Amino acid sequence: MAAFTATLLKPWTPRVLQIRWSRYNPYYLEPEPRKEVYSTPETELTPEQLKERELKSVRPIKAAPPVVHSSVFSDPMISKFINMMMKGGNKILARNIMLQTLENIKRKQVEKYHKAPDAEKAGIECNPYVIFHQALANCKPVIGLVTIQRGSRHYQVPTPLTDNRQRFVAMKWMIAECRENKHRRTLMDEKLAQELLAAFANKGPVVKKKFELHKMAEANRAFAHYRWW
Amino acid sequence: TYFLVTFSLKIMNIQVSQTRSLGTAAVEAEPPASGTRAIFRTVQQDPAHHSEQDLGQYYTLPPDHVCSVFPHGLPRHFQLQMKTFNETCVMVREPALELISHLKKADYSKPALRYLLYGVTGTGKTMTLCHALHYCSTQGWVVVHIPDAHLWVKNCKELIPSSYNSSRLDQPILASQWLKNFGITNKHFLSKIKTTKTYMWTKRESTEEGQPLGELLEKGLTRIKSSSDVMGALLRELRLQCSKPQDEGSGAFRLVVAVDGVNALWGRTTLRRENKNKVPHSLLALILAFCGGAIITSLSQSGSLFTPRLAYLPHELLGKEGFDSLDPFIPVPVPGYSEKEFESCYQYYIDRKWLQHSQSHTEEGKKELIFLSNRNPAVFEKLCAAL
Repeated sequence: MAAFTATLLKPWTPRVLQIRWSRYNPYYLEPEPRKEVYSTPETELTPEQLKERELKSVRPIKAAPPVVHSSVFSDPMISKFINMMMKGGNKILARNIMLQTLENIKRKQVEKYHKAPDAEKAGIECNPYVIFHQALANCKPVIGLVTIQRGSRHYQVPTPLTDNRQRFVAMKWMIAECRENKHRRTLMDEKLAQELLAAFANKGPVVKKKFELHKMAEANRAFAHYRWW
Repeated sequence: TYFLVTFSLKIMNIQVSQTRSLGTAAVEAEPPASGTRAIFRTVQQDPAHHSEQDLGQYYTLPPDHVCSVFPHGLPRHFQLQMKTFNETCVMVREPALELISHLKKADYSKPALRYLLYGVTGTGKTMTLCHALHYCSTQGWVVVHIPDAHLWVKNCKELIPSSYNSSRLDQPILASQWLKNFGITNKHFLSKIKTTKTYMWTKRESTEEGQPLGELLEKGLTRIKSSSDVMGALLRELRLQCSKPQDEGSGAFRLVVAVDGVNALWGRTTLRRENKNKVPHSLLALILAFCGGAIITSLSQSGSLFTPRLAYLPHELLGKEGFDSLDPFIPVPVPGYSEKEFESCYQYYIDRKWLQHSQSHTEEGKKELIFLSNRNPAVFEKLCAAL
C-alpha cells in the first residue's frame, strides 16, 4: 500500500526527453555523419584534423537530428520537402508519401520510356530525383513582393529573394496546390506526382503562379525605389 | 514480283502484329539487340527445359500466355512491374527447378503428391508457384489455381446461406470471379470433360448428366446465387474424373491444384458465423485425395488472420489440425536471393531503368542496398521503387 502510493507521488518525467532544441553547453561538439571522415587513416590528416579527433575522445557530442543521414541516398532538399509536408510530427507518413510519389513518377516515366520508339527514348527523363529538382527549380520565383507602408498606403514592392526563401516558397506553393485545389478523394502521392511532372515540363498551376508573381513584380516596378535594403 | 510478294508479306505481318497489339493489353516488347545478350537473361524460354545453367537468370513469358494462364494468379506488385517494364520476366530459381523436376518424375497412377512451399515473407513463394503452373499449363494439364485462400475467410461483402447444405455459407461474388478465370485458363478442356451426374441448382434449374463443363461454367456465371454450388460441383467432377483410369471415351488429363495461402483453410475466420464455408470444404476434399495430378500449395503469413508476424514454418502457420491433414507432403523451402541471384536482379533493374539514383549504380550504394534488404526479394523491390 505504501509502495503503491509512493509510485503515485513520484515526480513525473516524460518518457522521451527533448534534447536537441534545448540549449547545449558550448563544450558539446557537433556530430559527424559522413563516413569518409572515419575511414581516413591518421597519416592523411592535417594537424588541425588530428587535434579535432583527439578532442572527440574527451568532449561529449550533441544528439544527431533526424534530418542528418549517413546514407549515400540522402538528399537535403527531399528531407526539407518531407518536413514541410509533415503534419503533427508524423514523419513516417510524410516520408512514405514522398517515397510513393517518387515511385509514381518513376513508374510513369519508365512506362513511357519502354513504350516509346527508339528515337524518342533519349528525350524521356526517368530519374525521379532529377525531375523533382528540376520541377522545383522551375517553380522558384526570381523576384518577390514585399508590403511596405508609406504614409497611410501599403505598396507591393518588388524585391530579390534569397536562395532559402525561393526554395521555401516553391515547396510551399507545390504542397498547398496539391492539398487544396484537387479532388478530395485522390491520394497525396498521386497529386504530387502529377504536379511535379507538370512543373518539370514548365506547365501546370504552380509554374503559372510563379509567372503571375513575376508579372505583378514587373507591373509594380515603379515602387522599386521604396525599398531601402 | 518476288520483291512485291515479300513487301506485301511484310505489310501483312505489320498489320497482324498491330491488330494483336490492339487486342492484348501490353504492347509487344522490342526484340533484344541481336549481337549481345544480357547476362541475366536466359535463352531458354520454355519452363520444361530449364536447368541448373539457367539458375539466377530471367526468362520472358509471352503476353498471350500471361493472359491465358495467369488471369488472377500473379501477385499485385508483380502485375505493376509487368505494366511498367512492358514485359513479364520471371527469375529461374532453385525451389522452382526442384518442384518442376519432381513433377516430371512423379508417378501419376498413384495418389497425388502434395508440395508445400514455405519461407519468410517476401522470398518468392507465390512466384515459384506461378513458375511451376506455367510449366504445367505448357504441358497441357488442367489448372485449378486459387490465388489467395485468405480471401475466402475474411472481408467478404456478401454471405448467403447455401442452398445445397443449409448449415454452410456461400460467397457468390468470389465464386463467380473464380469461375470466369477458370474458364479463361482451361478453355480447351471445357468441351472435353463431361459431368457424371445431374445437379439441381434450384427447384427449376438443373444440369443433366453428360453435359460439357462449359455449360456448368455458364450456369455459374449467369446465376450468381448458385455460383458457389457450381464451383463445388466442378471441383468434385474434376476430382472424380481425374482419378478414373483412362477409358476410350474421354482422354485422361492431369490435374494440378495450386493453392496459395493454404494455411487459411485451417486458420481462424473473421466471418460472424463460424460455420465452414462451402468452398473451402470442397477444396479440402480436393486437396486431400485424388489420383493423376499434383497439389502445389504455399503458406502465406501476410494475408493470414491472427498469426504472429514472424511465423513462417509449416507447423506454426498450419496448426496441428492443418499439419496432420496435409501430412505427408514434400516441403520445399524458399530462401532469399543468393549472391548470384541478387546480382542478376540488380542488373535487371538497371537494364530496365528501374534503379535511377546515381548513387545506386556505385559500389557503396549497392553495399547499402544489400545491407538494408538482407537480400530479401520483396524488401529489395520496395527499396528500389523509391530510388
